[in-house]
Amino acid sequence: MRAVPRLLRLATVLLAGLSTAACVTSTVDEMVFNEPVEGIGDSTVVILGRRHAADYETEPDFIQCVGDHISSRDRSITVIGELEFVNSLYPWFEPRTAPLHPQNIDRLLLQEPVAERMAELKTEYMIWIDGKTERSDSMGSMTCGIGPGGAGCFGFGTWSDDSDYEAVIWDFTDRAEVGRVNTTASGQSYMPAVVVPIPIIAPVQGTACDGIGDQLLEFLSSEY
Amino acid sequence: MSRSTISVPDLRLLLLAVLGLLLAGCGPTKVVVEGNFPSPLIEPLPMKLGIWYPETFSGHEFFDEAKTRSDSSWIVQTGAAQVAMWDTLLEGMFVETIHMKGEPGPEQMNQLVDAVLIPEVDELQYAIPAHTNVKVYEIWMRYRFKLVTSGGEPIGDWTMTAYGKTPTAFLQSDQAAVNLAAVMALRDAGANFATNFTRVPQVQVFLDERGIVPLESGL
Repeated sequence: MRAVPRLLRLATVLLAGLSTAACVTSTVDEMVFNEPVEGIGDSTVVILGRRHAADYETEPDFIQCVGDHISSRDRSITVIGELEFVNSLYPWFEPRTAPLHPQNIDRLLLQEPVAERMAELKTEYMIWIDGKTERSDSMGSMTCGIGPGGAGCFGFGTWSDDSDYEAVIWDFTDRAEVGRVNTTASGQSYMPAVVVPIPIIAPVQGTACDGIGDQLLEFLSSEY
Repeated sequence: MSRSTISVPDLRLLLLAVLGLLLAGCGPTKVVVEGNFPSPLIEPLPMKLGIWYPETFSGHEFFDEAKTRSDSSWIVQTGAAQVAMWDTLLEGMFVETIHMKGEPGPEQMNQLVDAVLIPEVDELQYAIPAHTNVKVYEIWMRYRFKLVTSGGEPIGDWTMTAYGKTPTAFLQSDQAAVNLAAVMALRDAGANFATNFTRVPQVQVFLDERGIVPLESGL
């Protein structure tokens, strides 16, 4: 009978140890071609994910996260939603038609309806984010069972997540690339199960989002 | 003490219902594609375009039979979404669009238009993670377009491909992911058509003959 409390105590110690272990390492690199002078004022910014790669797509929720990070840190910045922007300029920002270089914007603005819509939106910076978060190195096993006395799981699983994103900043007024921000993050997550599985998730994508968002604020905000 | 009994006809009905439920459980996975399609932001071409959707197009569906017992068969119905997308796109691309009363032909009394567009889905393929082991849902489509006069005389005939994919990360079910991939493929089809219509050689000749000058488009 004393085995059960001992098992629970062991599980508690194990969980306490693991909760401190589920950490994330992150690096951010920045290249600035044209130093930002001041914030974007009453102009707007749009953050778009690159979707033309064959084997992955930059996640829409990551783009949303970066936008939320920026607008929550400086409430004066208006970030246009990705879907709203892409829909209002359809079909010019679809994966097949989206401009790959800032010089392409000149050709796009030759079309009067596009130029008018862009003027309405008052977009100062267009930020393209390319990259993904991948899961790798999954290990461990877990068995779950159900019986007359109840249900439960026992086992242990671990996996690692790796994020790699690059943001390219286009100054829309000058139609030039003004900076690049690269962020990588990786972390190990755990899922111990003693009766109930308890996930201890490393916030890898969130850390990459915060890293890239903080750097972008230097371009967009007068307070950073 | 009361006792309830089941008569033989009732029992037969019950068995039929159970059998029906079992068969329904084994049925194919069905996706009726649904989505919202934005109007194109484009200078409309100054021509009156007739549209004729063949029944195979407006009621288009794709059926893929399961290869093994563990797989599921799929029915992907794209017809209604195709019509919704192409109507929205063509109405934005041309100053006037008119749906034809009948299939263009010498005997057919139809409205007077500059040309009639007849789209067809030549082929549709899809891939889900169960097929490819890659965490991406994909839809690939090949269209065949015919541009004819209202009397049915051919002006041009060309094919065009469209592709849409969606990662699994932000969606719950296979059906929802296949739907979104199909919507992405339809958006891609619209983008491809809008940016390349005036570059199709036969269309260029037709526009030149009519003195219709398109604005510079595409990147």
